[in-house]
Amino acid sequence: MHQRIGIVGVPPLAIIEAITREGDILIDLDEPQVQASLDQSASRIPRVYCAILRTVVLNCMHLALDRVYIDVGPGKCDCALHTAEVLDDMLRVPVIRTRNQDVHAFGYPLCISRIPLLEKFRRITKGVQSVQPYPVLARCEPECGFWGVPPRDFSLLSLFPDTTHIFGWTRCMENKTPANFDLERAFDPNIPTVFFSQSFCAKAALAKHLAAKHPRGIAIDCDVSAGSSTRAKIEAFLELSGLEPGNRGGD
Amino acid sequence: MLLADFGTSYCKIIETEDGSPARIVATRELDRSFCADLATGHNATRRSRKSINELTALARGGQQLVNRPDFVLLDCGSRDIKFVRFHEGKVVDMGWNAECGASMGFTIELLSAYYQLDYATIPVPATGFSITCGVLGMSHIFDAVISGASETEAVAKFVRGIALNAHRFANEPEELYLSGGLCDNPLFVASFPCRIIPLGRFVLLAGLRATLRGETPFR
Repeated sequence: MHQRIGIVGVPPLAIIEAITREGDILIDLDEPQVQASLDQSASRIPRVYCAILRTVVLNCMHLALDRVYIDVGPGKCDCALHTAEVLDDMLRVPVIRTRNQDVHAFGYPLCISRIPLLEKFRRITKGVQSVQPYPVLARCEPECGFWGVPPRDFSLLSLFPDTTHIFGWTRCMENKTPANFDLERAFDPNIPTVFFSQSFCAKAALAKHLAAKHPRGIAIDCDVSAGSSTRAKIEAFLELSGLEPGNRGGD
Repeated sequence: MLLADFGTSYCKIIETEDGSPARIVATRELDRSFCADLATGHNATRRSRKSINELTALARGGQQLVNRPDFVLLDCGSRDIKFVRFHEGKVVDMGWNAECGASMGFTIELLSAYYQLDYATIPVPATGFSITCGVLGMSHIFDAVISGASETEAVAKFVRGIALNAHRFANEPEELYLSGGLCDNPLFVASFPCRIIPLGRFVLLAGLRATLRGETPFR
């Protein structure tokens, strides 16, 4: 009988290898997995908190899991460390804290490819569950940059051109080195770049700092879903950078 | 061509071909069937044949009205604030605050109506409340009045706090071009800790005109 294993963040590769070797089912708890209202999580975790971790708690309230791995090391955040405590008391299954400090670089071909940005993010987040090397992809010449974590609401990604390169923690994620801070803080000063963070996330400080250093950067944060003002801000930034924003749907 | 800036509280409208001046219509009084050829603002998509982003309209309007390569332009609306910074004739920085800077213009107007105040007669207070948005800032007014301040003093500190917050949001320039209905509020304009050059309420309409001519301040 295959087990259902929940993961939060990017657990070490050795753990992913062990889970896949057993043929167990991996469930990414960072992503919405249930239809229930996020407000239900307010009984366990504050409303004014990272929407990703609120989603983790909501998923754990509804899913039948056999085990949870939650990364609480430098490749994730202090909020995950504290949320692990909440999950430990809430769940009747083992909640295993990991500290992923993997250094073997897998590369980040998706981050620099010419694929719709939303699709790049889908593949990168799905890629956490794989231990296989990446297929070769052609690098595209970037027109724009997106720095940050995968947003809770992927719809805002549809505004960006396919030639957008991904930076920040998402690049670390694809590289399977989530604690690589040098890679996380890297950006390309030659392309207009949106420095994204989830509202109430500690990485907002780094996003704001790097946006100020970047000659053509803007810091943007977003909570649960991308409202019209967030979308309009990105749209204006792209337009005023000489780029054509993508579809306006999603409001 | 009928151009419109659909603001939250007021719509600014101009017909480009008959030479008539721009007019201001309260949003709640605008005919439901009104449709512009080109527009900006929160209702622009629904009420026009073609629309452009507000920040884009602001940047294009600023470039039309300010004949300088380097300047900062701040638009204070009923619901949000936004700024663009030009360097060497190109937009190099921008911001749009719709949540934490929310409802500034709207609350300033509401307060004057409720307390029956004339902002032209109120002196600038020495200090302002530390506030980030109109809605949250109103609690400071109530607390100040309970503590013995006059309603006029409390509202003045609120307005000064709003101006200081807007100045910080625009990254504290020494000189600021101001757009929007608050250009007509002497207390608000005088509450900034920098030189203010009011451009009035039709900056975004100027941006729409520039869009018609195909002029862009792209980087």
